[in-house]
Formats: sequence, structure tokens, C-alpha cells
Amino acid sequence: MVVGDISTGTDVLVIGAGPGGYVAAIRAGQLDLDVTLVEKDAYGGTCLNYGCIPSKAMITASDLAHEAGNAEEMGVYADPEVDLGEMVGWKDGVVDQLTGGVEKLCKANGVELMEGRAEFADENKARIVHGGEGQGAETVEFEHAVVSTGSRPIQVPGFDFGDDPVLDSRQALALDEVPESLVIVGAGYIGMELAGVFAKLGTDVTVVEMLDSVLPGYEDDLARPVKKKADELGIDFYFGEAASGWEESGDGITVKTENEDGEVSEFGAEKVLVAVGRQPVTDTLELENAGVETDENGFIPTDDRARTNVDNIYAIGDVAGEPMLAHKASKEGQVAAEVIAGEPSALDYQAVPAAVFTDPEIGTVGMTEAEAEEDGFEPVVGKFPFNASGRALTTGHADGFVRIVADEPSGFLLGAQIVGPEASELIAEMGLAIEMGATLEDVAATIHTHPTLSEAVMEAAENALGHAIHTLNR
Amino acid sequence: MVREFKLPDVGEGVSEGEIVSWLVEEGDTVSEDMPVAEVETDKAIVEVPSPVNGTVKEIIPEEGEVVKVGSVIITFDVEGEADETETETAASEESTESQTETAEEPEVPADDAEAEEVSTGEGRVFAAPSARRLARELGVDIAAVEGSGPSGRVTERDVRQAAESGVDTQEGSGSTGGPEPTSGGGTSGPSPTSGGGTSGPSPTSGGGTSGPSPTSGGGTSGPAPTDIESADRETTLAAPATRRIAEEQGVDLNKVPATEQRDGEAFVTSEAVMEYAEAQQRAQQADAAEPAEGERVERIQYKGVRKTIGDAMVNSKFSAPHVTHHDTAVVDNLVETRERLKPEAEERGISLTYMPFVMKAVVAALKQHPKLNSELDEEAGEILRKNYYNVGVATATDAGLMVPVVDDVDDKGLLQISSEVNEVVQKARDRSISRDELQGSTFSITNFGAIGGEYATPILNYPEAGILGIGELKQRPVVEDGEVVAKYTLPISLSIDHRIVDGADAAAFANTFIEYVENPELLLLE
Repeated sequence: MVVGDISTGTDVLVIGAGPGGYVAAIRAGQLDLDVTLVEKDAYGGTCLNYGCIPSKAMITASDLAHEAGNAEEMGVYADPEVDLGEMVGWKDGVVDQLTGGVEKLCKANGVELMEGRAEFADENKARIVHGGEGQGAETVEFEHAVVSTGSRPIQVPGFDFGDDPVLDSRQALALDEVPESLVIVGAGYIGMELAGVFAKLGTDVTVVEMLDSVLPGYEDDLARPVKKKADELGIDFYFGEAASGWEESGDGITVKTENEDGEVSEFGAEKVLVAVGRQPVTDTLELENAGVETDENGFIPTDDRARTNVDNIYAIGDVAGEPMLAHKASKEGQVAAEVIAGEPSALDYQAVPAAVFTDPEIGTVGMTEAEAEEDGFEPVVGKFPFNASGRALTTGHADGFVRIVADEPSGFLLGAQIVGPEASELIAEMGLAIEMGATLEDVAATIHTHPTLSEAVMEAAENALGHAIHTLNR
Repeated sequence: MVREFKLPDVGEGVSEGEIVSWLVEEGDTVSEDMPVAEVETDKAIVEVPSPVNGTVKEIIPEEGEVVKVGSVIITFDVEGEADETETETAASEESTESQTETAEEPEVPADDAEAEEVSTGEGRVFAAPSARRLARELGVDIAAVEGSGPSGRVTERDVRQAAESGVDTQEGSGSTGGPEPTSGGGTSGPSPTSGGGTSGPSPTSGGGTSGPSPTSGGGTSGPAPTDIESADRETTLAAPATRRIAEEQGVDLNKVPATEQRDGEAFVTSEAVMEYAEAQQRAQQADAAEPAEGERVERIQYKGVRKTIGDAMVNSKFSAPHVTHHDTAVVDNLVETRERLKPEAEERGISLTYMPFVMKAVVAALKQHPKLNSELDEEAGEILRKNYYNVGVATATDAGLMVPVVDDVDDKGLLQISSEVNEVVQKARDRSISRDELQGSTFSITNFGAIGGEYATPILNYPEAGILGIGELKQRPVVEDGEVVAKYTLPISLSIDHRIVDGADAAAFANTFIEYVENPELLLLE
């Protein structure tokens, strides 16, 4: 212990106040545990401050501008003027409201908040290094610790986020002027979401991707409507190109990429956004002092009760492995807190839903047809295209479809994939259905409101059963 | 075009059947109504006829497989028929009544098959989150619980019941999907012994609903993975808990076959470690035991007739409180009478056994004691007194116990009864007996004495109120006028449903029966 350190004790030390950590802290507080929540930067973590929430705000605002200016078909003529500074200001207001709420909720549940970066001293002690030179440090003794330090964007060699024209997603969401042109490295979900935002705000967007398609990891037919829309927005794609570096040239920069054969291409732009994935933040924690193991990618392996290899230390959220999703982190946070409190809690969810906020949106949950087959089911698939949905047509967005995967002999739902308007919302019904062990018939027999997009879910279930009304059955 | 053929409902209430043998091969030409397969249901063996003229395209289940009613078992190429399936399928869902039609309608599988479906796939349990949480709280492995909810979903009540019956409660709870699923059917009671000894009757009575069958549980749950090959890797990903288990079991994680890949690396689960550890132990044991002997435990599927018998026994024994009354008849006269009549019967081509005499005597006694020729209809709250006398004769067959029935025994003469008994018993033994001939008895007789023994405690052929067990007829010491003499005696064991028959009734019935078998000429008055 460093002389001058103050020492405090706590039942549960939660490290990192993102959607995993603050949920764990609040739940632990509800269960009458003495909780200390350490955060080095901002309550709400990446999700609330730099990720999910700000990007959704910017997506909505840019959509609005784009839609308003492109509704001649409906008889609406407008040419909206965008002030990005104000747009970002509005976004920041939303973020502040939410992060302020998190702080209040934590306090109301008796959570002790502490600012600083945590380093393990051993399996029962951590040093909290307060921000800034000379602000000191203190030691916290804990019975249990929950590691929820999240993830950070991966840096591509040659692209330092510290350099001005090189942006990570967080910086891209905080620009005060719309760039003339932007090269985006990576066509994953973050790259594609932001490509849409900037294209709709008028930026000339070029996407370079190492693999050969957009949204790698998603089924081709889900990615196709997204690519189609992106093409319509004038986004240029270059596949099989690995970004190798950049240099200043004239007013802007030139981004260099290399293909498999070593041929170099150059793309001129004002800025470059690198969105090639995220890596867990486990290297600043001195986990080895506590004996917590990580795998070669830096993730902390955990069991179905969120425990690491050290009995009293838990890991949740992005540090605990894929999928790196806020809602998965929150669930793990709840479970970790309940397990610490001695409740028989476990991570026994059947499916983790996921949403991509591209245009159109993608929502997925559970198994694809191929995965179901691999798992020994006899899958049957039902599909409903949005161009047969009355509501979809009236929104002007009728691209995409709902697909449901079920086990044919039993009828049990196994998964769903949706691409189209409000896919991120529609997938929730499927998540509930899967957790409840619902069958195709259960969904098909449930009356869905007309005229809504949710009817598409019901129709897809009926299609799988061979009696959809508004489509021809398989 | 290709016609699919689904296993039809080969008898009422039958939900599945075992394909005993295929009578055709792929490529064979078949004509309509020609038998293509023999299927054993829980009651009997039935031949399944071809619905079409054509050739056999594909045979789906193998012999010995148990298939659900409604699942496709064979497909035919039918010539000259237009390709109609499309329209048929799309057009009329509801009208697809006949089981022999194909149509891809979503079949509603029988309940009992669900349990198996529920656990297909990788640890996927079909239960609401609330039920799963309750299972953890009560320490129940939900994967081993049979669901009673819609489509076999596991409900909270199922979980509670499983906890009460002590099925697979795990200590420490928490972890989902324990490594060793216990077999299903945790609730079944003591299993009846084989057809010989304490024989009771078998099922039959009207439309018996077969309960949820643990066939699936029994069939699939046995931890019988064959030998597991060791893997040989440099590195392995595994959760800390898995690493702990591996350490405890003394297993090298790099040798455990990987169940999945994560980030391109082999990933091993706790289950895989346990399986591997068990396989290693088995292998060691096998090595230790010198010559590779057969397995110490043979696993035989509990299904078909065997299971039906078991279910019926459980139902009977736990529904009706049994009381068994024992007595002995001295039957020198009966032996003499039968000896006299035997040549007569033989002349008419009939082998006369004691059974027809016993049946006649039983009916005579039933007429005087009608309480024993009745059944309790619990639902209606009524006792049904029967004014007809159909007698079931418990018969040991290779497949297990069956109870063929001779109808209206009171209207029939000894010889006719004799020939009818011989006929149905023979049919039961070669399993050509029809369902009708196994149903409708009002009282049953079990002749365990044919194999040997004096007394037994027969189980009622539920819902009948009485069953008479007959011991071995032979000379035994009898006291007569203070002297011990050798006499032919017939020990009897009469079980009754004590809810509607009292011990005194049983004794009175036994006395009347004894009177008739001791003095067979009285039967002339009947």
C-alpha cells in the first residue's frame, strides 16, 4: 500500500459503469449489498456516451434530414439545412439526460460512486488511481469484484486515433461540421451505420473493407437490402482492400489500401473513420495480481454464473467475450449481482437478440436455418416480405423481410432474422417467443394489430405453417 | 409422382408403433392393400397395407425403430398420377383427414414424443424463463423434466413435481444442463414381475389412454457415448469452471474433443470434459477386465407391449386397493370328471383342459356374487354391475403378458369354451390376436399354476373388480377324518378391488367357486 492511500472496504467492487457495470451495481444495491462502482470516464460507459445512444440520435437526425429532402414521391418538397454543431448539441443533451439518470439511480440504490481507474492488487484488494496527476489513489478491499471495463475500438496500424483526420466512432459522432468526404475503413455494423449517417448528411462516403461484402457475419440476404440502399445513397464500396496508411495531400488526406495481390489503391478524403472492430479493455487492470486469466484475445473466460477462474471475481459485458452487446452486458450484470447475493441465478438465456441500425435495419435473434440444422433440429422456415405489408408501404420503406426459423416436428421457434423498417423493434417479439418456448402456432394464432409492421411476424409464422394469407406459401 | 405414406393410426389411442419388419424393399412393386410393413403398437402387431399401386421409392425408419403416428415411413413412386401434391397441400389443410394422404400439413405430434423433441439440439430447453429460474431454485435439472405444457413445454408445475419426486435434483444447482441426464419416468412405481409368478392381467379395457411415454427418456438418456477419441491440440479455450472440472477429473484439456470453435480456436465445455473423463474411465475399466466381456448392464428399451403392461400395472395397483384372499379346493372329483370327458372332447378335436371348468365355475360364482362382476366408474361416481360374463385369461407370451377374452361364457358349453380359449390363447402367443379379442372382459383368470406355484397376489385387470389366480393342480397332503391323505388340490388366490368389494364378499365368492370345482356336476345346473 502506498503511504497516504485511504483504505475502504466494500462487499462488491464494480469496475466500469457501462450498461453491464451500472446494472450490476444497482442490482447488488437492491439486494442489500454494500457496493462501490468505479468509473474512470463517464457513467453509462461507451453505450450511453459514445456508442449506442449517440449513434442512434445521429442516425435519427440524419434520417429526418434525408427523408424530408427526398419525399417528392409523397408530394413533399423540402431542402433541409443541417447544422451539425446543433445536431451534436442535441445529441449531447440526450446523452446527458441518460447518464445523469444512471448516476441518480445508482445513488438511490445506495451505490457508492468513485472516480478513477482500478488496478487489482490481489484477489481482495484494488487500487483506485484517481484521474490526473497528484490526485492520489486509494485502496478498496472487496469481498467480490465485478470486472466490466468494456471495450475500445481496435486501431489499425498506420491509423492513430490521436491524429486529427483519423476518427474512431466516438470522434465521428462529435464532429461539428459535416465533412465533405469521408473514407470509412470497415463495413461492419459500426462502419455501415455511420456511412449511412454521413451519406445522408451529404458527405461523399467511400467504404473500404478487407472482406468481400458488407456486414460480414450476417447472412447474405440480410445484408443485401442494406448494400442496395447504400448504393442508392451514393456510397462507394471497395472490397478486398486492407487499409495500410494515410498521408496528407493538399486540403485533405489520401488513404492507402492494399489488396491481396499487393496492389495499392488510394482514396482521397477529408477524414478517415476506422471502424474495424473492438477489443476488450483488460490490459489496464493488472488482472494478473488477482490471478484472473484472460485468453489470447484479452477476453476473460467466465462460466454460466459470470464467474472468472477466481471464485470471488466476476466478469461481464464486452470483457467476457462476444457478442459485445450492451443488453448482454446488462443481463450478465444482473446475474453476477444475484449470484454474489447468493441467489440461484444463471445465464440461461436461449437467445441474445441483436440489432443493426443501418438503413434498412437488421434484427436477429436465435438461430439461423443453418445453425438450427447444425444443432440437430429439423428447421422449417417462414418468410414474409415487407413489400406485402400495408404498413411498410405506407412508410415508404418496404424493402426487406421477416424470416422465422422453427423446429418442424415440434413447432418450437428457434430464431428469427428481420431486415426492414423497425427491424430492431420487431425482433423483440421473437425474443420473447423464443424464451417462452413458443411455437409457430402460438405466434401465428396471436392477433397482431392492423395495420402495423408486426403483422409481418405473424405472417411469417403462418407462412412456415403453410397457411399465410398475404403471401404464396412455400 | 411421389406419394409419401405416413404411419396411420393402426388402432384407437395408439400414438406410436415399432416397425417390426419391412415386408418390401426399395424398388419393389406394390399393389394397393398389399402389406408393406409389420408394426407393433402397444397392443398388438398390425400389418400396414400399401395405399397405392406403384413402386417403393424410399423406406425411412429402420426395423426396430419406434415411429410416431403421422410420421412418414415410406414413399412410393406412383405412375400415371398427376402431380397433385402442390394443390392438395395448399388448398385444403383441414380436409386432409385420411392419414394415408400426404400433404405437408404441420403435424401435431403426440404429446409423448415431445419430451424428446424438447431436448434435441444443444441443451435447448423449451420452458419459460420463470420456469427455468424455479428449476435452479429447486435444484432441478430442467433438461430432465418432462413437460406437460403446450407442445411439451416445461411448466413451473412440472418443475415443482420433478422436485417433489426427487428427479435429478442436483446439489449446488445454478448450473444449467447437468452432465448426466437421468432417465425419464421417475414417477413410475414398482415394475411388475414377469408373466409367470405374480401375474396380473394386462391392459386392454376400453380406449386406455396411454400416458406420457418415457420411451424417449429411456431411449436417449443413457449416457452411452461410445469410445471418445482423444484430441491432440496445442491450446484449448475453456471456461475457468471447465478448467477446474478438468483438473478434478485429471483430464488434459488439449485431449478433449472440441465441441465448438470460438475465434477459430477449439472450445471445450464442461459437458465435453465430463464425457471424456467418463469415457476414459470406461476404457480403463474395460482394459482392467481381462477378456472384453459384454457390458455389465444391457439396456433394453421399455416400450411397446412391455411398457403397456407396465403402465397398466401401475394404473391398477395405484388406483384400486388390492386385497388377496387365498384358499384351496380339493378337486379329486374335478380331476376324475375331466379324465372321463377328455376322450369325448378329443373325438371332437378339442383338447380339454381344466380352464373351461374353472371359467364355468367362476361364472357360476359371479352370478351369485355380482359385486365381483363389476367396476367402479370413479368419474361418474357409480358402480357398474355387469350382467354379462366375459372372462379374460392371462397368457404369458414372448412379448409379455396379454389377456385374451372369451365372451359370454355363461351362454357357452364346456367344449365351446375350451376351443375358444385355446384359439385366443394361441393367437395371443403368435401375436395374431386382434385388439377386439383383447378387450371387454368383466373378470379375469390368471393360471400361473401352469408354470408352477401355489399362491400369488394377482393384480387386477383394471377396472375389473376381481381376478382369480389358479395355482398348480396336484396332489397335496389333506387332512380327512383326522388322517393325512393325498388329494388333488387347487390353490386359489383371489384379488379384489376393496373399494367396491369387501373381504367377506371375496371369501363368499371363493367358497362358491370352490363348491363348484369340488363338485363339477353342479355345473350341469348352470
